[in-house]
Amino acid sequence: MKILLVDDEEEFVTTLAERLELRGIQAMAATDGEAALGLIETDPPQIVILDVMMPGLGGIEVLKRIKAQTPQIPVILLTGRGSTQEGMEGMKLGAADYLMKPINIEELIKKIQVSIKSQG
Amino acid sequence: MHKWENKEVAFFGKITAGITHEMKNVLAIIKESSGLMEDIMSISPEAVISYQEKFQNSLAKIKNQIKRGVELTDRLNKFAHSSDEAVSKIDLHEAIEQLIAISQRFAGLKNVVLKSASSNQSVQPTILVTHPVQLQMALFAAVECCLHAMPDGGVIHIGFDKSKAKNAVHVFCEGDLPGKSEFVDNLSAFEKWPVLQKIAAFLEGSVEIDESADGIVLFLPEQLGS
Repeated sequence: MKILLVDDEEEFVTTLAERLELRGIQAMAATDGEAALGLIETDPPQIVILDVMMPGLGGIEVLKRIKAQTPQIPVILLTGRGSTQEGMEGMKLGAADYLMKPINIEELIKKIQVSIKSQG
Repeated sequence: MHKWENKEVAFFGKITAGITHEMKNVLAIIKESSGLMEDIMSISPEAVISYQEKFQNSLAKIKNQIKRGVELTDRLNKFAHSSDEAVSKIDLHEAIEQLIAISQRFAGLKNVVLKSASSNQSVQPTILVTHPVQLQMALFAAVECCLHAMPDGGVIHIGFDKSKAKNAVHVFCEGDLPGKSEFVDNLSAFEKWPVLQKIAAFLEGSVEIDESADGIVLFLPEQLGS
C-alpha cells in the first residue's frame, strides 16, 4: 500500500511516515499543497492524507484539485479544529473521511483501508 | 452590551483558536514521536539498539515540541491576562513582541513573516497608559490590513518610533508589493480598515496609510485623556 501524507508540520509527517513504514505501509510525505499535487502527478499514491490548514495552497483547495484531476484517489482530511464541522464540509467536497488531530494511528490505518476498499 | 464587547470577544476567539490549533500540532508531534518509540520497543528490546538513531531523533522531537508547547501556553496566558484591567500601563515594545508572537500563525498562512523593527528603544520611553485589549486589537487589525493588501510572501515589520513627537507604531510591508496606488486601494477598501480606524479613535489616537513605506502608522497618546 502506498500513501501520501500532506501536512506543513514536517516533524509530524516524517514521524507518522516512519510509524506507517514500520507497519508495512509505504508512506510519502509532502509539506505543502504544491509539492503534494506534484507527487500525485509523478508518483500517484493509493490514498492521500491531507491537512486542512496549510500555508499557501490550503487543504480544501488541494482536495478540490485532486477531485478534479484524479477523482479515483481517495482523500482523508486531518483537521486541527475541535469540532467535526471542517471535516464534514470536506466530505461534501469529496473527501472520503476525516480525522481530528492528534490522530490515533490505528484509527488512521482503519480509515485508510476502508477508504481504499470502497474506492476499489 | 458595551459597544466594544462583540469585537473583543471575536478578537479573543480568533487568537485563542489560532494558538490552540498550534498546540494541537505540538501534541500531534509529541504523540507520533512517543508512539514511534513505543513501536520500536514493541518490536523487541534489542530493537532499541538497532533503531538507536530513530529513538534519539524522536526524543529530540519530543523535547523541541515540549519547549514549543510551553512557549505557546505562555503566550496564550499573557494574551488572556491582557483583559484583567480596562486601563493599564503597557510597554509598547512588549505589546509589539506579544502581537508578533500571537499573529505569526495567521501571517504564516500567507507565507508572510512578522518582524520587530523598533527603533530608539533604548532612549525613548515606551510606556503607554491605555486600554490593553484594544491596543492589541489595533495592532492585530493593522497586521490583518497589511496581510490583505500585500501578496503572499514577504515580511511585515512592526516598530515603534517617537522621533516625530508622537508615539507612532509603524506596520509596514516588504516584498513583491503591488503599485503604491493599488496597495493603498487594497488597504482602504478592506473591511478591517474602518474597524482599525474605530479602534484607534477609541484609543484616542489615529491611523494613517503610510504610502512611502507601504504600510500603516498608528498614532497613540502616551496617556488616555491627555
